[in-house]
Amino acid sequence: MADPRRPEFTAEQLAEVRRLQSLYPEARGALLPVLHLAQDAWGYISLEAEAYVAGLFDLSPAHVHEVVTFYTMFFQRPKGRHVVAVCHNLSCHLMGAKTIVDHLRQRLGVDVGETTADGRVTLLTVECLCACEAAPMMQVDDRYEVLLTAEKCDRILEGLR
Amino acid sequence: MAEKIFTRNFHRADSHTLAAYRETGGYTAVGKAFGMERTAIVEEVKKANLRGLGGAGFPTGMKWSFIPKDSTAPKYLVVNADEGEPGTFKDRYLLEREPHALIEGMLIAARAIDSHLGFVYIRGEYVQPWRVFSAAVQEAYAAGLLGKNIQGSGFDFDIVIHRGAGAYICGEETGLLSSLEGKKGWPKIKPPFPAIKGAFGHPTIVNNVETLSAVPHIINRGGAWFAGLGSKSQGGTRLYSVSGHVVRPGLVEAPVSITLRQLIYDECGGIPGGRRLKAVVPGGSSAAILTADEIDVSMDVDGLKNAGTMAGSAGVIVMDETVSIPEALMVVARFYAHESCGQCTPCRESTGWIYKITHRIVDGHGRKEDLDTILDVAKRGAGTTICAFYDGAVGPYISYVEKFREEFEALIRSGDHA
Amino acid sequence: MPKLTIDGKEVEVAPGTNLIEAAQKLGIEIPHYCYHPGLTIAGQCRLCMVDIEKNPRPQISCNMTAADGMVVHTQTERILETRKSVMEFHLANHPLDCPVCDQAGECWLQIYYMKHGLYDPRMTDEKVHKPKAVPLGPHVMLDAERCILCSRCVRFCDEITKTGELGIFHRGDHSEIGLFPGSALENAYSANVIDICPVGALTDRNFRFQVRVWYLESVKSVCAGCARGCNIELHTNHHRTHHNQGRRVARIKPRFNADVNEWWICDAGRYGFGWIDDESRLTAPTRAEGGRAVEIAWDDAIGGVVDALRGVRPEEIGILASPDMSNEDLFALDRLARHLGAVSVDARVPPATPGDQDEFLIRADKHPNTRGAELCGLAPRAGGLDGPGMLKAAAAKQLKVLWVFQHDLFQSAWPEADVRAALAGAGRVIFQGSNANATSAAAHLVLPSAAYAETDGTFTNFQGRVQRFRAAVPPLGDAIPGWDVLGRTARALGAPDPVFEAGRAERVFTALAAAVPAFGGMTYRGLGDAGQVVAR
Repeated sequence: MADPRRPEFTAEQLAEVRRLQSLYPEARGALLPVLHLAQDAWGYISLEAEAYVAGLFDLSPAHVHEVVTFYTMFFQRPKGRHVVAVCHNLSCHLMGAKTIVDHLRQRLGVDVGETTADGRVTLLTVECLCACEAAPMMQVDDRYEVLLTAEKCDRILEGLR
Repeated sequence: MAEKIFTRNFHRADSHTLAAYRETGGYTAVGKAFGMERTAIVEEVKKANLRGLGGAGFPTGMKWSFIPKDSTAPKYLVVNADEGEPGTFKDRYLLEREPHALIEGMLIAARAIDSHLGFVYIRGEYVQPWRVFSAAVQEAYAAGLLGKNIQGSGFDFDIVIHRGAGAYICGEETGLLSSLEGKKGWPKIKPPFPAIKGAFGHPTIVNNVETLSAVPHIINRGGAWFAGLGSKSQGGTRLYSVSGHVVRPGLVEAPVSITLRQLIYDECGGIPGGRRLKAVVPGGSSAAILTADEIDVSMDVDGLKNAGTMAGSAGVIVMDETVSIPEALMVVARFYAHESCGQCTPCRESTGWIYKITHRIVDGHGRKEDLDTILDVAKRGAGTTICAFYDGAVGPYISYVEKFREEFEALIRSGDHA
Repeated sequence: MPKLTIDGKEVEVAPGTNLIEAAQKLGIEIPHYCYHPGLTIAGQCRLCMVDIEKNPRPQISCNMTAADGMVVHTQTERILETRKSVMEFHLANHPLDCPVCDQAGECWLQIYYMKHGLYDPRMTDEKVHKPKAVPLGPHVMLDAERCILCSRCVRFCDEITKTGELGIFHRGDHSEIGLFPGSALENAYSANVIDICPVGALTDRNFRFQVRVWYLESVKSVCAGCARGCNIELHTNHHRTHHNQGRRVARIKPRFNADVNEWWICDAGRYGFGWIDDESRLTAPTRAEGGRAVEIAWDDAIGGVVDALRGVRPEEIGILASPDMSNEDLFALDRLARHLGAVSVDARVPPATPGDQDEFLIRADKHPNTRGAELCGLAPRAGGLDGPGMLKAAAAKQLKVLWVFQHDLFQSAWPEADVRAALAGAGRVIFQGSNANATSAAAHLVLPSAAYAETDGTFTNFQGRVQRFRAAVPPLGDAIPGWDVLGRTARALGAPDPVFEAGRAERVFTALAAAVPAFGGMTYRGLGDAGQVVAR
């Protein structure tokens, strides 16, 4: 993976940036898609990456920083190889989210917002992921894991390398 | 059993495919719409009494008619797939199971408002729905149902899929537009209204996923038919997302005239373990809570409004007797404090303030003046903000405290400031 | 032109006028934070709400265009309560640093709380904490806790300077004004954000902790930093002379002028007042004796000038006037030069480094009155020498008197050797100016003149706009206005022109307006606060 402190898109990635920019009436509309691209490429969005992306959009770095700090899915610091985001909103709370969070904290040995020492898992709590019918639930990387129990959590964690 | 419109194909494993959609009559309405006058399409949707199903319940046909007729500016159709209202999951199902109904609905809406570019804003966390919907869009392009000169009609329409990045406020109409423009999801001050000056400064209509998914059926079978399925002021069926303490949580499609009692007990099997119902959130967390005595209300926009709450996103959260209402309010207050965009002062300051109070109450440090503070702060802030987010916070702030005041007071009395 | 009613009073306004401006026309103040007439509408603070008939809910007045027949109420019970609520929200997380905050006394949280709040505070939980005392750049200090997130500063950097340094990061009540980490607020107009910040979030590093604003007096004046002449207020400290390190001028604030500088001023102009109270000020006339500058009385000094001129032929006099001098000074000098018959008169001394100029306010010409010098005729007369010519003549011992006004010739583009030779070769060098410099050090006679902050007068800017400045503090020591030095000299020489009898700057201006066609018909009263453009 490229160095997030010396961020630079490949020619292919740059072509994708330009393509995305052309889809919108104003190129700035592509900022969120390009930030997703940047995070996928470099693992997280460093300040250097913000300045780099700002240059691609002719925006001031301050305005890119505004966007990165506003949205919860953009990480400004390195995250674990896997992100485990447990919903703690109302339905999940009713169905035992607190127990799940406590179990994961204990299993992983980290607090919410922290990453395990081996860099494997970042544990987060998040607001409603809109899978309330299968509460309690969490998002693990790209997928939803639902109807959680302590045992199910353990099986899921085991599968995370 | 009432007719299923949205979920008619959900039993099929391949319901998301173009083939399955076509097999069940899909993409015939769009052909019909291309042969209709734009105003005729709008009239049909008006006749259907279709109300926005994302949360605001605004009449859809009326919204479409706000686009200035004489404007030569490009017009945009924006789909709000930033589902985020706690208790709601219907759009997730529609994106994954019936994406082509949304595409066809978009085409018809686009024809009605003379739009040739549509944006579908999907919340960033919805990765699987995004993949399924993207594949459906590709199928549609390959079949000549999107792009230039669709089905030889001379009508062009492109869809750009735009992923969000985690912010509930991007489900607010103009917050979504700001995010689409590459900025923070800050709602815009109105006037100007989106139909006049929306995305990128051009006339824009923002519609919910479910709302647009109804449109092909309305065109195929007529507005009067759709209107007749519902109540006097709202047509059709809608998707109720039911969760919490029920035997069968899940998506329920029912006519909008169904009552909350029927939804909980007939459709979802009632409360597990024979426990008693304590409270219900009827329309997503922003809707005022209802007590167990208040569930004989019809679940349409006007019915719930008259009951002092709202239909909102039709997210129904059921709470039994084991639930601590102060704890539930703390969870909900935490949500609004976390999701406030921070742009305008009343919301920014009071969502954080009220969360701190509820947290303190739950932790056993509540003070007797706290409840009146919550109520007064909420009432003072309501109606003063840029968007309705804060009014959505006020719904629970006031209703939980007013309807369950004794429970709060007992918790405060048992705390260390008693 | 829409005609509307506000609080029962009718007013007609230009199309497109918002309700805040419409109310202002009637003298009705609608409180607000985020609205600023020079910036786009934000609609964020929610303080400016008013009740409008036929509108069920209160509306923000900044974003509401006055319409014909509109009926607006700014004092309904509901609006008064709404204002109280909005004040409470603004103060909920405010640190209440007043005892240590420079904004105290001109803080719009204080002012509006006293006028529209007056509630008992009830937020007893821990307030949100944010960075304090963060220098953003050379001039601006940030206290993020005090910030009310009105976004004026962000909009200024986006819309006026177009440099985009500032942003509002995060969201909810953790929203925070700041710079992109590692960057600085260094544009040439950075300190304007201090003026537009309604609270003590953005404060002036130069003014920090110097003196409380309620001790300051204010006069309307004009910046002397370049040829634009941005309109300013000079804020001076008379009442607490042990504060502000004894300096009399505390700060400069821009003053609105639609044709010159709108609401803004550049940083160089804003901070270009240190020389007024600096140690280099000339406070007494001096004569060079045995290598030292010996203080003398004015009578002796004037006598010295008369002595220097006795028996000198007109072509042996060189006068280097300055475009830093007022129109009044320059007119008096022109009359004196005519009386003496001097033909070698010039006001142009090129700077060593050319001044910077931009597309906004900053002019390359760093003198406030170059146009004035031109219009008052301070240029070589027929047969007379220009500046470089005078230097050469002085070096060749052909000039018996070289009278230099204000300039430090050693800081000019003229070769140092030429300047040195001229000052050594001239019979007598007279220096008249406000501050000591290498040129005054080489003069035989030094005449201290008042700074623009210490006298009334006018400058003519590059647009030909004649603008008044006013005395904010008395002249330091024995310094007197330039036209007064010249008047005394002229009277001692027996010159008859009545302008030399003038006891006030205004009298000199009256004579100037009568004599110089470009200024025809102008009076101090007519110039008012916004100035007038000279006749073509």
